[in-house]
Amino acid sequence: MSGDKMDIETAEQRLKALENSEQHYFNSYNHHGIHEEMLKDEVRTRSYMNAIVQNKHLFKDKVVLDVGCGTAILSMFAVKAGAKHVIGVDMSTIIFKAREIVEVNGMSDKITLIQGKMEEIDMPFPKVDIIISEWMGYFLLYESMLDTVLYARDKYLAKDGLIFPDKATIFVAGIEDGEYKEEKIGFWDNVYGFNYSPLKLTALSEPLVDTVDMKAVVTDPTPVLTLDLYKCTTADLAFSCPFDLTARRDDFIHALVAWFDIEFTACHKPIRFSTGPHTKYTHWKQTVFYLKDMLTVQQGEKIECSLHNRPNEKNKRDLDIKIQYRLETQDSTRQAEGTCLYKMC
Amino acid sequence: MAAAPSQRDEARSSSGSSTSSSVSEEAEWLDADQDGDDDDDQEALAVISLVDDRVFPDATSMLAYCRDEHGLDFVGVRDRLALDFHGTVKLINFIRQRVHEGIAVSGADITAADLDDDGYLKPVLDDDALILCLDDLPEPAGTAAAADAPHGDGVDGLLQKNAELQAQLEQLAKQFSSYRLAVQQTLDQRWEDAPAGTESKGKEAAKPAGEDAGVVAKDESEYYFESYAHNDIHEVMLKDAVRTDAYRDFIYQNKHLFAGKVVLDIGCGTGILSMFCARAGAKQVIAVDKSEIIDKARENIYSNGLGNVITTLKGRIEEVVLPVASVDIIVSEWMGYCLLYEAMLPSVIWARDRYLAADGLLVPSHASIWMAPVADASYVADNISFWRDVYGFDMAPMQRGIFADARPDVLPAAAVCDASDTARRAFRVLDLHTTTVADLVFAAPWHTTLNAATAPADVDGFLVWFDMFFAQSRHVPPDMIGPATTALDWVADPAKRDAGLVAFTTGPFGAPTHWRQGLLLLDDRNKKKLAKVDAAQKHIGGVIEYVTPDGHARGVNIKVSFGPDGKDDKQDQTWLLH
Repeated sequence: MSGDKMDIETAEQRLKALENSEQHYFNSYNHHGIHEEMLKDEVRTRSYMNAIVQNKHLFKDKVVLDVGCGTAILSMFAVKAGAKHVIGVDMSTIIFKAREIVEVNGMSDKITLIQGKMEEIDMPFPKVDIIISEWMGYFLLYESMLDTVLYARDKYLAKDGLIFPDKATIFVAGIEDGEYKEEKIGFWDNVYGFNYSPLKLTALSEPLVDTVDMKAVVTDPTPVLTLDLYKCTTADLAFSCPFDLTARRDDFIHALVAWFDIEFTACHKPIRFSTGPHTKYTHWKQTVFYLKDMLTVQQGEKIECSLHNRPNEKNKRDLDIKIQYRLETQDSTRQAEGTCLYKMC
Repeated sequence: MAAAPSQRDEARSSSGSSTSSSVSEEAEWLDADQDGDDDDDQEALAVISLVDDRVFPDATSMLAYCRDEHGLDFVGVRDRLALDFHGTVKLINFIRQRVHEGIAVSGADITAADLDDDGYLKPVLDDDALILCLDDLPEPAGTAAAADAPHGDGVDGLLQKNAELQAQLEQLAKQFSSYRLAVQQTLDQRWEDAPAGTESKGKEAAKPAGEDAGVVAKDESEYYFESYAHNDIHEVMLKDAVRTDAYRDFIYQNKHLFAGKVVLDIGCGTGILSMFCARAGAKQVIAVDKSEIIDKARENIYSNGLGNVITTLKGRIEEVVLPVASVDIIVSEWMGYCLLYEAMLPSVIWARDRYLAADGLLVPSHASIWMAPVADASYVADNISFWRDVYGFDMAPMQRGIFADARPDVLPAAAVCDASDTARRAFRVLDLHTTTVADLVFAAPWHTTLNAATAPADVDGFLVWFDMFFAQSRHVPPDMIGPATTALDWVADPAKRDAGLVAFTTGPFGAPTHWRQGLLLLDDRNKKKLAKVDAAQKHIGGVIEYVTPDGHARGVNIKVSFGPDGKDDKQDQTWLLH
């Protein structure tokens, strides 16, 4: 036990030496709330469980690396699936809880938990057969650990090794959201009788993480980014994508909504889950980008859009996002064009 | 109160020690620039008098007023000292600073040496219209005469004059942009110079672990202030109608208290309370906040036309220099979880002792803290038992923190399992006019009577909440607020309501607030001990303590001892809130 205590002290010291923004990122995961929320997200946890436990033929006697292991739930799934050994890595001090959890479940000899940054730790195995990780953030990429997963892939994954999950796609659609836009954005026009427009500008520039009702979706969804985790690089996280949104019905569009799908294609029977408005709730919800204008669209009309995303230069876990849109119609009163800048931080 | 102007500038600008301050300042400049292009905004030009609060549609009429009514000949001083553009800007800010501090200004006494300090390049008034329309001022007498002489009355003369004026305009535009740059650079430099000085003042500044490696870790307070820089938290607070309505109702229903008064708003956030006070007739409101949000507050105040009443100061209340020696009213929304988490109250107390006039008022005026036993089987199943079977795994270690932390959570009134409202007593009542910092660390007896349906074994934990009271005077009748007085009593009393007395509760019997309640869950050991107490025993009590944890100046540890009445053998448990 005293050895553990020493570990905790060094870990805390290491945390203190980090930059403030980084520190906040790692520390926020120390609180139980976030782990409780993630574990209780059944779509997420059950998908991982099925992908791992139903594929014993892939995991049997394999060495597995769990990147950002948190409470070690995925590591324990991997042991259940027959893994020879699992290495769980997490910077957060939650890993000391994870160590106790692994002990309580009698898996200490099968799971090695290492506290530290993936880029800095000493790995007990030179290569691993499988990487598992739940690295996704809001809008897939916000506060995501993908860069760490890719680092681990390049450094430790054996030739022909597997990644769980291995495919991620971001989708975008247009939504009618007048009432909520009024509540979130219009609110700042009159706060107890005062004009709060400076905060309105900020509110417009902050994408909103919230659930969107399926009925609000006005256009067909369009993929704007597909990541193949075997091939992609951190450079792919800054991307630019032109796309069209086609209206399914006559309606108004106040915002674009984005979500992502995740696939485990290595499975015997491919497993996927979506975080979109058309399916069950996940803790990622969806991400809403309010437009300055309200677009009036008729069924079949196309809105030409583009989405540019890049990690913020100062804090790479924040995202700078630009959305451009153009609606060309015969009816000049409905013509609309604009550029919106957003910052997820 | 003799604060040198440069000191005040220092206080305003040096407190933002991060480079992001300069970025937001720059954004403001850009905004101002955009506004300048906007015709609507130019029509609304308001030039504030150099000597008082009067507002004029243009600089010429304002300066004529200052000269004729107050004997301050601004143009005369400018010409006597032969000031260029920068010099004129400094002169404006020098005069405004003096007036702001209540020092009489005599034009004849101003010397060139008075204007040496480049600090005067920084505007005293945000978006000072006088600076923006310097080109409207009459030219120095000598040059004007010389320029007029060669021109005839013909069209050529007018064209020539027009060209000259145009050149002059361009010149001024250039000067103005270089002035902007100069201000920018001065500010940037101060911010860069500042950190060493400001950081060392933070008493609770933890020694950064990585100091030797050249990494300067921010102290806990820095992070605390940063956490208030984002919109979300202010949206949550503004939309907490229980909270914001209470402040609004008290201020608007008691305008006679605010009319003509000087008010200090500590931790002003978006400026909402300051604006309530200004609308209620306050003569001057000083809004102080250390967080970056104050840049937004300043904009809000300006866009609501209250810039002439409200002065914003960025920095810790203990470090900024107020433009007044004392204030009549302190308004502040300082409350944290379980009332004292975040420890902002000591700053309010400090400011009260330093600035509040002898008979001054604190808004709110009183606070009381309450605790009741709770029993809620479904809450326990969802949040505690959950960890014993997570997808087939036992995560018991995750449970432990649940019992170690006070959990901010909203519990239904039905979870409260004491006998009746009338038996409930606040374990702490704070008269904020007299409370000292030492009073915030305390041990107080508490007692409860369980209801008929509840045995000691059923108790899952305790719930802590607070009530806030807004009285109109620091001298309230002794029976008005005591351990048995609830905020809901006040709200339900029509006489109090009609008299403008306001109160609100954060407890389980009122509408939920963003403070929620503090849930203290009993650990297994204590649950088991309580299970051994006779089921018929209804009277339970002990001592509750609020302690500041080591290394967490803004946190609170809550220690509760409890057991059946009449027995000395109490059990206890401590919960952390940080």
